[in-house]
Amino acid sequence: MPVSVLSVDDAGLTLSSADEVILDVLFDGRRIWSFWLLRDSRPKGSNRRIAWAASLEKFLDGQTRLGVVEHLSGRVLYDEETRFGSGNGRIAVVNDEGKPLGIDKSGRMAQTFDTRSEEHVAPLLDSIEEVLAALAEAGIEAFPAYGTLLGAVREQHLIGHDSDADLGYVSRHGHPYDVIRESFRLQRRLAEGGYRITRYSGIAFKVDVVEGDGSVRGLDVFGGFLSHGSLYLMGEVGTPFRREWIFPLGTCTLEGRTLPAPAEPDRMLEAMYGPGWKVPDPAFHFETSRQTVRRLNGWFRGTRVFRDDWERRYSSRRDRLPDLAPSGLAEYVVAQEGVPGRIVDVGAGRGGDAVWFAQQGASVTAYDYVPTASRAVQRRAEARGLDLAVRRLNLLEWRSAFAEGARLAHQPGPRTVVARHLADATTRFGRNSLWRFASMALRDGGRLYTEYWVEGGEERALLRRLRPSAVRAELIGHGADIVHEETFDAPGEPGRRIGRTVAQWRT
Amino acid sequence: MADVRARLKGAARRAVSRTPVGELVRRVEALESEIEELRQQNLRLAEIADVVQELLVPLSSRDQARVDAAIEKFSRSL
Repeated sequence: MPVSVLSVDDAGLTLSSADEVILDVLFDGRRIWSFWLLRDSRPKGSNRRIAWAASLEKFLDGQTRLGVVEHLSGRVLYDEETRFGSGNGRIAVVNDEGKPLGIDKSGRMAQTFDTRSEEHVAPLLDSIEEVLAALAEAGIEAFPAYGTLLGAVREQHLIGHDSDADLGYVSRHGHPYDVIRESFRLQRRLAEGGYRITRYSGIAFKVDVVEGDGSVRGLDVFGGFLSHGSLYLMGEVGTPFRREWIFPLGTCTLEGRTLPAPAEPDRMLEAMYGPGWKVPDPAFHFETSRQTVRRLNGWFRGTRVFRDDWERRYSSRRDRLPDLAPSGLAEYVVAQEGVPGRIVDVGAGRGGDAVWFAQQGASVTAYDYVPTASRAVQRRAEARGLDLAVRRLNLLEWRSAFAEGARLAHQPGPRTVVARHLADATTRFGRNSLWRFASMALRDGGRLYTEYWVEGGEERALLRRLRPSAVRAELIGHGADIVHEETFDAPGEPGRRIGRTVAQWRT
Repeated sequence: MADVRARLKGAARRAVSRTPVGELVRRVEALESEIEELRQQNLRLAEIADVVQELLVPLSSRDQARVDAAIEKFSRSL
C-alpha cells in the first residue's frame, strides 16, 4: 500500500502506510521538518497519526502551501494551500532576526545549512579550520566528525538539514583516566588561547569561536580512544575498530576546503551511523547500544546533571531583577548573628538574597551552576558599587569545588555560608561536594545555613524531598557539628515542610 | 482485567525471582552497578590528579597574589 496523507489539521497529520518511509514537511516549498512515518507516529485505527513537532507548534497560525514529500524518491504526497489557527498571514518559520529556521536532527528549531548561502557558511568553515589548528597545536589530531564528516564524505558539502559542526579526535592514550586528563590539558591550552569552553563530559566540550561579524558559534569537540580493539567516541560510538582505520589521518573535502579525516572515513561513518550511512536521513536517531551508553556514562558523564534544566529555567529571566526582599533564611541568618561581614551564597540563582546581603553591607560571593542567572543583579550591584562577586561553581566537578574551596580557604577569617534550596536541588554527589566545599570555606570559623524541602505541598520542578536526618548524617560524616535543626511550614503554604539545618566545623 | 494481568505478572516475577535464574539476574544487576562504580573512579581520579598537579605547588606558596592568580587561571580553564 503506497503511503498517502489522509488529513491535515492544527494538531497533526493522519497518514496511511504499511511501510517505513522518511517524509519531509515543506512550508511554501521549504523543508521545515522530517520524520520517519512508522517510527515517529502512533496507530490510529488502521492509519497512522503524527502530531506536529513541538518546536513547530508556535508557528502554526496562518496560511502556507503545505507539502509532504517522500525524502528519498521525491514523490509528492500532499501539496495544498493550508490554513492553521485563525491567522490570515503567511506562516514564516523564522527567528527573531527573520532568518529561516528548520527542525534539525535533534528536534530543535535551528538555522539549518540548506537555508544558508556560501557567504554564511564560509565563517563556519573558517571556525572549523581555526579550532582544528588550535587542537593540532595542542598535539591533538582532530577531524570533522558525525554530521560534518558525513556531509564531507557523502556530498562534499554540509548536510542541508544539519545546523552545527562537530569535531572529533581519537586519543593516543588507551585508558579512560589518561584520556580525561588529556582532555583537561587540552581545555587549558584552548582557554589560554582565549577560547571560551563549555565542558559536556570528561572528554567532550564546546569551543566558542567569535566570527567576523561578532556572532559566537559553538563547535563541539568529541574525544575518543581505542581500547582492547574497540573505538569509543563520545557521545555515540562503541564498536570494534582498528587504529590503522584512523591513523595516519587522510583528508576529506568540505565546501571546497581540504580538511583532515580518519584514514578510512567510511568505516568511521559506519561506526557512527551504521551501514546505512550512505542513504540520506534527515530524521536520523542514534540507536546507541545500552552497553556503549553504560560505558560512556560510567567513564565520562555525570558532571552536568540538571544543567540544561537550570539553563532553561533562567534563559528568559536573566535580565529581570528578582524579588529583592530577603528570604526567610537570610532574615534568620541576620537574626542569629547580625549582618555577617562575609557571606558566601551557594546556589545563589538569580541573586535576590546575595544582593540584599550586599546592600546590608556584607561582602558577598555568590556561586551558581549558571552564573549568568543573576545578570540583572550583577548589573545592579555594579551600578551601586556593592561588594558582590558572582562566580561559577559546579558541585558535580570536584575540580570546581576544590578550586573554589581552596580559594576561600586561602582568604583567612570567618564567614557565613548560605545554601537555600541547593541541597534538595542537586544529586547526592553534589550534596557531598557542597558539604566538603562548606568545610573548606569555613576553615577559619563561621556557620553553614541551609534550607531544603522536606515534604508536603506541590512538587516543584528541579526540587526533591530531603530528610533532615539525611542532611544531619551527611554533614556529620563530613566532620560538621550540627548547631541547629528545625522544620517549619513554608510561609503561606501550610503543609509544605521546609527543613533548616545550621552546622559548623571545629577550627 | 488489566489489574488481573498486572497481578499475574507480579506473581510470575516473584516466582522467577526465587529460582536460580532470578538469583543470576540479581547478581548480574549487582555486578553491573559495581562495574559502573568502578568506571566512575576514572573521572574523579583524573580530577584529583589535575587539581594536585595544577594547584598544589602554587597553593603552597605564601605569596597570596600568586595563589589567587593560580586559582583564577585554573577556574577559568574549567
